[in-house]
Amino acid sequence: MILQSIELNNFMCYAGYNKFDFTEGINVIIGDNGYGKSKLFDAFYWVMYDECFDTAKKKFQKTSLLKRSIVSDKAIVECDEGVITSSVKLTFHNTDKDSIYILERRYNVRKSDDKIIEDQDSEEIIWFKEMAYLNAKEIKESEQIERIKKTILPDNIKPYMWFQGEQVESIIDFNRNDTLTQAINILSNITRFDNIITIAEGLNETAKKELGKRQRDQSGDKGKSESLELRKQYLLERIKSLELQEIQYKDNLATAEEKSEMLLNKHAEAQKIRDVEAKRKNIENNLKDIQEEYNEEQKSLHKRMFTNKWVLKGTENLFEDYGKMYNQFEVKKMQIEAERNAKLNTENALITELQARLPIDVPEPIHVQHMLDNERCLVCDREAPAGSEAWLKMKELIDRSMLKIRTPEDEESSFHNFSMDLRKLYQNGLGLSHNIKSIDDDINSTYRRIRKLDKSRKLQSENLTKIESEINSIIVEASLNVDQARNLINEYSAQNELAKRTITEVNSNANLIGKRKEELQKIETELSKLVVGEIPTYLIEKVKVLAEFSQIAESTRKRVFRKLVQILEEEANKHYLEMTQGNMSSRGIIRLKELSNGKNYMPELVDEKGNVLLQLNTGNIILIKLATIMAIISARQGSRDTDLYTLITDAPMSVFGEDYTIGFCKTVSKVYRQSIIMSKEFYKNTKLREQLLTNTDIKLGKVYLITPSIPQNERSNRNSLSTNIEKLN
Amino acid sequence: MTKEDILRAYLEDDLFIQNNYLKKGEAQKHKWATDTNSNLIKVIKTAIDGGIMNESTNITERKINILLNNQS
Repeated sequence: MILQSIELNNFMCYAGYNKFDFTEGINVIIGDNGYGKSKLFDAFYWVMYDECFDTAKKKFQKTSLLKRSIVSDKAIVECDEGVITSSVKLTFHNTDKDSIYILERRYNVRKSDDKIIEDQDSEEIIWFKEMAYLNAKEIKESEQIERIKKTILPDNIKPYMWFQGEQVESIIDFNRNDTLTQAINILSNITRFDNIITIAEGLNETAKKELGKRQRDQSGDKGKSESLELRKQYLLERIKSLELQEIQYKDNLATAEEKSEMLLNKHAEAQKIRDVEAKRKNIENNLKDIQEEYNEEQKSLHKRMFTNKWVLKGTENLFEDYGKMYNQFEVKKMQIEAERNAKLNTENALITELQARLPIDVPEPIHVQHMLDNERCLVCDREAPAGSEAWLKMKELIDRSMLKIRTPEDEESSFHNFSMDLRKLYQNGLGLSHNIKSIDDDINSTYRRIRKLDKSRKLQSENLTKIESEINSIIVEASLNVDQARNLINEYSAQNELAKRTITEVNSNANLIGKRKEELQKIETELSKLVVGEIPTYLIEKVKVLAEFSQIAESTRKRVFRKLVQILEEEANKHYLEMTQGNMSSRGIIRLKELSNGKNYMPELVDEKGNVLLQLNTGNIILIKLATIMAIISARQGSRDTDLYTLITDAPMSVFGEDYTIGFCKTVSKVYRQSIIMSKEFYKNTKLREQLLTNTDIKLGKVYLITPSIPQNERSNRNSLSTNIEKLN
Repeated sequence: MTKEDILRAYLEDDLFIQNNYLKKGEAQKHKWATDTNSNLIKVIKTAIDGGIMNESTNITERKINILLNNQS
């Protein structure tokens, strides 16, 4: 079946009429994020299943929930009144029978007075046309419609043929037994083997009970048989519960092992991130200390003008000048003092002399005062009015007697003596003059220190940038941030601990089961010894055959499952190798490692010698899963699924690097007769696009470039949004 | 897988060799129509047939019980 075309009319961002034609080979729809690739995938899916993928809810939603969001906003805005129909039409060509299936889905909204009335559901129209005849026939019976849809895409292979890139992770979940069993069931019906196990276990149980009853019926000691039977039943119950416990333990162990393995893939990177982060923190702290010290130095640089007396720089002459002046001052001062002393001595000698020259008959000063008060000289008995010459003469006699001998100290107290201050200044200057000599050294050493700090600061800053870039590239490569790395390391140790603990539990549980079984064996021997007469041979044979049947049913299922996993692994490896060709960094062979519970599998990449390669990142895992998805279809025994059905996938390559894009396209074009891939990888990388269009190893179908009429960042709503479709080949 | 393939998958079990029900290499040669005296093989074939014919488990179990009870 070849999908010839898709026609979209007013479907989501595809306003108006739009058509894509397809041929055999790989058909590629190129567009950047938000350009309408996913909406195109939705269109395919909508026609077939009446559902679109809700990226926010990460699940498919029915039309009845999506309603008007299916219809182009532009179409709604541009319509004044009436019905607006959104429709998608798929045309399939059955090349074997040369017939055409046309599947169309329509959804209507009505616009009336600016009100939008939504239809509850969509309408499905299917046409069948045999090319030999001109007339087409509309198919109306729902059963026939379902049959046609299943011919186009059977339900069981649908998840592996039509999928969104972001679904890849969950389509094949190696640690979920059901997804792997589902995949294995595509290869071969493993459920048949499961059903046989159910039959075998049921029969085995019944046969054992039948034998037990017969033994009790033929017992020589019915009482003992009854009590032994009771014990036997108890042991059987106990063993059953222990075995259930064992399954639980093994499941836990498998989960822990699987988680450890998954974590181990990133453990080395996480450790590296942790170590580099520790280094980064160390550098950051150093830088902080240095920066603080540097800032402090810068701040105290100005203070040093005074604290370290740098302000005195260049004042050496000033001090010398002052010294000279001070010296002159001292000399002058001594001269003045000498002169003053001489003057004082003269004055004092005069006073002494004057006092000594007072007349002998001069009355005592009290009498002189009396004469002054009475304004009369009692010596000569004459009038001496106050202020007269005679009176003043008498007063002089009194004053002279009161004159004191003056000392240099008396003199000094009469004027300001700066001598001490000037000396202090001189002495200070003397001390500072020594400092001035070392100011240059001090300034130099301070600046040296600042320069050293600055250098160290810059170095640490460079180191920090370097280590941050290192850590960023590790983070990008490992898809882990620092917190996630720390959590991963903790989680890894926790899972390892859990695995160790669970192994101990499994062992001790197995011991218990062993002991119970031994006891059960003894009871069965005792019971058989109590039997009187012969147990029918057929019954003994039946019990034996059914026990063996049960055993074989279990082990065969395991073996077949393992073999199918191996087939899947081999086929997946073919695709993986093809996809990774030309990329040395992802060399390796996929190995699906069976976990301890015997049910779950873990993908690993191993080298040729079987050594596990630990660099399994998200990209690798997606590649392995895509290879496995391809393998499920391509390895299906005796099928032509890859010829019969079209692979339709949106952004399957977005998780792995562009290095794998061409490899992926080559592989897809080899595996599938027709595929339709939506991709953004070829949008910006024009070199890659050129390779796609010219590489002869790729069986190329049609290639389209889709672009929105208004770029996402330039539109506030989608009211005038439509999608431009450009054919590239 | 055809019913013959499924049968062979069971016959390849080590138990057949260990209990001398089959010799080495016999499992691969065994055809669906090959006559056998082994009750175990007969039981397996009945179970496979039941699965192929979409029988209910009860019916298949009853058939096997009849098969083994009739050995008396």
